[in-house]
Amino acid sequence: MMIELGYFAVITALMVSIAGIIIPVAGLWTVNNSLIRAGRQIVTVNFLLISLACGTLIYSFLMRDFSVKYVAMNSNSRLPVFYTIAALWGGHEGSLLFWTWILSAFAALAAWIHWKKHPATIPYLIAIESAVTAGFLALIVFLSSPFERIFPAPSEGMDLNPLLQDPGMVFHPPFLYLGYVGFSIPFSFAMAALLSGRLGEEWIRSTHRWTLLSWIMLTFGILMGGYWAYYELGWGGYWAWDPVENASFMPWLVGTAYLHSVMVQEKRKMFKVWNLFLIIVTFSLSLLGTFLVRSGILSSVHAFANDPGRGVYILIFMSAVLLFSFGTLIIRSNLLKTKIEMDSIVSRESAYLFNNLFLLIATATVFLGTLYPLLVDTLYGTKVTVGAPYYNKVFMPIVLIILILMGIAPMIAWRKASAENIRRNFLIPLIAGLASAAIFAIFGIRMAYPLIIVFIACFVSATIIIDLYKTSSYWSSHSGVSLPAGIYKAWHHNQRRYGGLVTHIGVLVLILGIVGSSAYKLEKTVMLKPGDEFKLGSYSYKFLGIQDAAGINWRGVEALFNVYEKDRFVAEMRPQKRQYMGGSQMPTTEAAIEPRRMGDLYLSLSEITEEGWITVMAFQNPLIHWIWYGGGIMGLGVVLILFKRRRRDS
Amino acid sequence: MTKGRKIGIGVSILIIAGALGYLALGNFGENLIYFYTPSEIRTLSPDYYGRKVRVGGMVVMGSLKVIPNTLRMNFDLTDGAETIQVAFEGVPPDLFKEGTGAVAEGYWDSGKIFHSNMIMAKHSEDYMPIEMKRAGVELPKKDFIKSLQE
Repeated sequence: MMIELGYFAVITALMVSIAGIIIPVAGLWTVNNSLIRAGRQIVTVNFLLISLACGTLIYSFLMRDFSVKYVAMNSNSRLPVFYTIAALWGGHEGSLLFWTWILSAFAALAAWIHWKKHPATIPYLIAIESAVTAGFLALIVFLSSPFERIFPAPSEGMDLNPLLQDPGMVFHPPFLYLGYVGFSIPFSFAMAALLSGRLGEEWIRSTHRWTLLSWIMLTFGILMGGYWAYYELGWGGYWAWDPVENASFMPWLVGTAYLHSVMVQEKRKMFKVWNLFLIIVTFSLSLLGTFLVRSGILSSVHAFANDPGRGVYILIFMSAVLLFSFGTLIIRSNLLKTKIEMDSIVSRESAYLFNNLFLLIATATVFLGTLYPLLVDTLYGTKVTVGAPYYNKVFMPIVLIILILMGIAPMIAWRKASAENIRRNFLIPLIAGLASAAIFAIFGIRMAYPLIIVFIACFVSATIIIDLYKTSSYWSSHSGVSLPAGIYKAWHHNQRRYGGLVTHIGVLVLILGIVGSSAYKLEKTVMLKPGDEFKLGSYSYKFLGIQDAAGINWRGVEALFNVYEKDRFVAEMRPQKRQYMGGSQMPTTEAAIEPRRMGDLYLSLSEITEEGWITVMAFQNPLIHWIWYGGGIMGLGVVLILFKRRRRDS
Repeated sequence: MTKGRKIGIGVSILIIAGALGYLALGNFGENLIYFYTPSEIRTLSPDYYGRKVRVGGMVVMGSLKVIPNTLRMNFDLTDGAETIQVAFEGVPPDLFKEGTGAVAEGYWDSGKIFHSNMIMAKHSEDYMPIEMKRAGVELPKKDFIKSLQE
């Protein structure tokens, strides 16, 4: 009966959300306070109902109730409890419910947190959030219910896709969703500002933390997906420009543009329309990401649903969101005229403008490559894919420009930078960058991209170090403390700026990891019999033999390797091949990864013949761990900003 | 802001956008990879021989021949109507075996043999080229549920 209770809860939640679209706005128009207050109860009730629905589904999973179709399709009785709970978002229907649950939680949180400060806009916020929630609930109730039963019930479930039985895969979707759904709050605030006509900077200030948090969650979600692909798929890489990867990357790119351009509005009251445009696009791309992944129109790891009805529904839903938001933006555009104009092309404003421009061009590039195959298929019935070389060739120059702007923008003056300002801030970094590129060239780095990246990394780091040194020595002499204490004071007085700069360093570290691991990657595929040895880079690998391996719900074999660096034993590596004991016939590959100081050694077992020969793919990925470190530093930067103490005077 | 500056910003944006647009579109055509079924590839015009394409179908039962102690293998790929021979060198993905769907990337050599060094890594057994699903070659999920109940 539990699962029927869950189904009943989502149906009720759907009706409650529809009420949530109408009641608060009606309250605002009729100046009826009790109706407005009802809005807050509505989002809370909604959250409780959807939590109940998720609860019943988790309960059915834990009770191994295979009469529930979704449970039967995505788990079996041998599945460990941890993955049994995570199976909630392991398939199409459940992940939509989970998406909606996060949405309802965020809507309720936002309504309670911002209630006092924004009495005039909160009703609209509740209405918008309720509308999006209703859209997803309708999809769940009518087209994608995880509450369906099958009769007669099978005695055993299929299994959770073995590839998903991995910690990386358990955390990757929730983080992505937190990011996607998080952007709905700034979006709703923006729409509320448009609808209420209160188009000052309040909505941007109030959503600052939401934006940052969503952005970093999305960043982590994407990186976790990459890390999972790296060690679980056994192909030695972490990013393949797969349409589904692109689907999460597009909102990230535009979200990054938005994150920067709001600062211009806060400081200079410019870019008003532009910011509204960006947040609408960011949230729409989050929805598009869901659409691409969940509609099944793309053949990929993630596209499990193959029901065209769902695709059409999400398409209609998205068109409604786009029409409504851009329509409102156009109607309200007369309220958005500002007198302030850009003073000079050499200024921080224009650096932000160009940053935005390039991020949008990057997004358009990905958009084109991702959706062109769909377009051609729809129009001509021809199947094409856009190869990774397209993205690599087009994307890299754009990234380089964005990185240079990343070094320039924080240090250049607002309004109009003088020649003096530019020379003072950029002469030494320029020399530092060129000098280090020259040193690296002497020591044998000859490829163009690595050299340019070294230049940019040193240029940008130098600007940051010089800036930090100047400010902290100002503070140390100003209040008579030591230089380290000065650094603390500098950070303390402008947490947002220094948090942002730390994030920039994270980006640089990440890019160095990407460039290093792709430009200097070594790979080799070899066939070996026990006792054979092969060399890759400065390491030699000795294959000792194969042995059995087993876990709770899988059996497998592993190949045993001893790794030597110049005859010195450095590591033992055991790439595995697993067979899960569920309904799945698919073996999975567990790569063996040995982190060394300069990068990863990576072995992936491909095949074992009856005679005991194995085929193994070996990779050496220099600097690849810098990608994950970079993500960590970016997160640290965001934390530094989030834990900003509120100023007493405001 | 003076008119001159406005024009300056506008022109520089246009130039940059144009350059990048050229870069993007210029690289687009040559990086498009066409996807064919065995029937389609048989009717391919000779102009396309040697061009990188993908072909998808089912691996014919009993056709897979691995050449011992090499990374080479031969197999037949079918869409039900037509069958082509594939010569593959490399490491096939986990799911690759006889009787399942496969997508191979390579070139159609003189209209006789498909040479491939990459078989798409497919991450789920549910996955299969959409046109194969349409043709009903693979058992749909429904049948799987039925088999569970029996």
